Amino acid sequence: MSGTFRKALLGTAFLCALNAGSAWADTIKVGVIAPFSGPFATVGQTFKQAIEVYQAQHGKTVAGNTVEFVYKDLDQANPAQSKALAQELVVKEKVGYLAGFFFTPDALAVAPLIDEANIPCVIFNAATSAITEKSPRYVRTSFTLWQNTVPLAEHVAKQGIRKVATAVSDYGPGIDGETAFKQTFEKSGGKVVDSIRMPLKSTDFAPFMQRIKDSGAEAIYAFLPAGPTTLGFARAFSDTGLKAAGIKFFGPGDITQEPDLPVLGDAAVGITTTFNYSQAHDSDLNRRFLAKHRELFGASDIVTFTSVGAYDGAHVIYRMVEATGGKSDGAKAVEAVKGMAWESPRGPVRIDPESRHVTQTIYLRVTERKDGRLQNTEVAGFPDQPDYGFKAGK
Amino acid sequence: MGAVATGQTPQAAARAPRLRRALGGAVVPLLAAAGLAAFWLFPNDLGLMTRIAATALYVLSLDLVLGFGGIATLGQAAMFGSGAYAAGIAAVHLVNDPLVLLAVGGLAGGLVALVTGALILHARGLTLLMLTIAVVQIVQEVVNKARDLTGGSDGLSGIEPSPLFGLFRFDMFGRTSYLFALAVLLVGFLVARRIVRSPFGLACRGVKEDPLRVAALGGSPRRYLVTLYAVAGVFAGVAGALTAVTSGIVGLDSVSFSWSAEALVMLVLGGAGRLVGAVIGTVAFMTIHHVMAAIDPFHWMLFIGLFLMGTVLFLPGGIASLADRFIKGNRT
Repeated sequence: MSGTFRKALLGTAFLCALNAGSAWADTIKVGVIAPFSGPFATVGQTFKQAIEVYQAQHGKTVAGNTVEFVYKDLDQANPAQSKALAQELVVKEKVGYLAGFFFTPDALAVAPLIDEANIPCVIFNAATSAITEKSPRYVRTSFTLWQNTVPLAEHVAKQGIRKVATAVSDYGPGIDGETAFKQTFEKSGGKVVDSIRMPLKSTDFAPFMQRIKDSGAEAIYAFLPAGPTTLGFARAFSDTGLKAAGIKFFGPGDITQEPDLPVLGDAAVGITTTFNYSQAHDSDLNRRFLAKHRELFGASDIVTFTSVGAYDGAHVIYRMVEATGGKSDGAKAVEAVKGMAWESPRGPVRIDPESRHVTQTIYLRVTERKDGRLQNTEVAGFPDQPDYGFKAGK
Repeated sequence: MGAVATGQTPQAAARAPRLRRALGGAVVPLLAAAGLAAFWLFPNDLGLMTRIAATALYVLSLDLVLGFGGIATLGQAAMFGSGAYAAGIAAVHLVNDPLVLLAVGGLAGGLVALVTGALILHARGLTLLMLTIAVVQIVQEVVNKARDLTGGSDGLSGIEPSPLFGLFRFDMFGRTSYLFALAVLLVGFLVARRIVRSPFGLACRGVKEDPLRVAALGGSPRRYLVTLYAVAGVFAGVAGALTAVTSGIVGLDSVSFSWSAEALVMLVLGGAGRLVGAVIGTVAFMTIHHVMAAIDPFHWMLFIGLFLMGTVLFLPGGIASLADRFIKGNRT
């Protein structure tokens, strides 16, 4: 009885393995794991819309293979669920590529899986430097906190500002940002007079504003994850009189992301940020990207950094499909895009062969009102910024 | 059945409990059979099914606390997460045998439950509910702060359990994971049933019904409840460890308030106060969640809400009470 059982088990196992290995038809599936419901649903929406814009512009076939995107909802950071979804995509949907990932732990969760299945994973957002170190099959088309912060800290130092307080959310990316700013700024001769770590979920920022005021800082560096928290923080900065007192506000661009600008209103005016993408980026490609977006979805209000992460991610996946001729070979696919350079709606970008992270121009932007609408105007650019955090430790 | 309705009283009256007992005895074989059938029927969904089995064990622990002890809690995730992190940290630094990891998780969950239970079970009702929420948030904050050990908000990754019994590797198809999780769930179910039917379990039910009377009879309601809380903590800890072993990663969500609340929803859905209710509720909730989210990743929550409302309105005793209705329906 148990012998039969084991044979049946082995048989099933064998059949499964056979199916997973060979069924590469001319439709190539890409599994996208992202929040499509819950508080971060806009992120998933930007991913999906950007992918649709890309497919509308470049067609759905590459080298004779149709590329189909399959979406899985992961409404909050939940790595165990992320792994289960990825497993389902690989085993059941037989996807050849994984993509998406808004939160770092969700992206980290699939590392063993993509290694075992030899599948490339293109990260559209998750921004902790350590991710691409965990598997050679990760490629990232977004940014890291280090990448955005290092040029910003140098800029702040050049402005003659000597005393800065940092205020970051108390979690991985926040601490990345704090470390990156402190190291760079103090190397350039400045001093970080207070380092505040705020609980990730806090909505009342008045006490932190008081601490910033007491620290005697001339400027603040702030990072909070884009969404309700950044809104509250930027508002409090303006409402508690820090803005009126002449304290300058610097931070990575998450804090003034496009979908939040109308809600932020005049509180956002004058905030200086560094970021890889602004909707106001002055290039034909960006204008075409936005125009297509308006054509497909009626408006381009929510187009933001997550859109461009997904748009370029789709581009990378298309090149991978081309390079492998539709076969599933993660190692070869990743090898093919190492060093690849192209023009993105955010400007010139390229995949750094060592970190498999996107090297790009980081722009210095000031939020201002133009034609009645708030926008992030790019006033300067720092070209060819790598991920300074790659293998830099914590 | 018509004959029963017209009333051959003694036998008919005896039939309902007998039928129920027969059903009760068949629960474990039925669960095992259903679990194995699912293994063959849905070989591509083992990832989900593994999560369901581990979650069912976690909801089972909540059932022990709430359904049999009457302790209103929204803090069960504190024990689940402690178990998951303890097993995860042990796997990264010390051992990687899956069974040892489960033991580590169970120990951690039990300890956290014992200590916090002894502290907070003075209170009752809403106060207690708030204290349990406080516990889960404190544990989460500790885990978040202990970044070097737990990975903080990035999650604790790099958990690589060794093959089960040195033979079965935890591969990406999840066969080992699922069968392992199913076996742990069944053993957990049997142990839980043994506990519930023991004199101790009956005493706990007594405390739930009327703590004053238990005290008058010479028992200590608080001691019973703390013990029960600690025992359930072991179950939750093992469930956490099981999740850590089978998924290879632990995140802050596993010690979150919302994870506690979700367990409560699953339990209410299945039917609190009976062990099989916990399993049925988990399977129902997670399956519907999964199917709906696959069909419509954008609006699935609406359907879940409707389903919940339907269940609460038309089946107040949970899905497991369907069997009762069936039996009662026969009798009258």
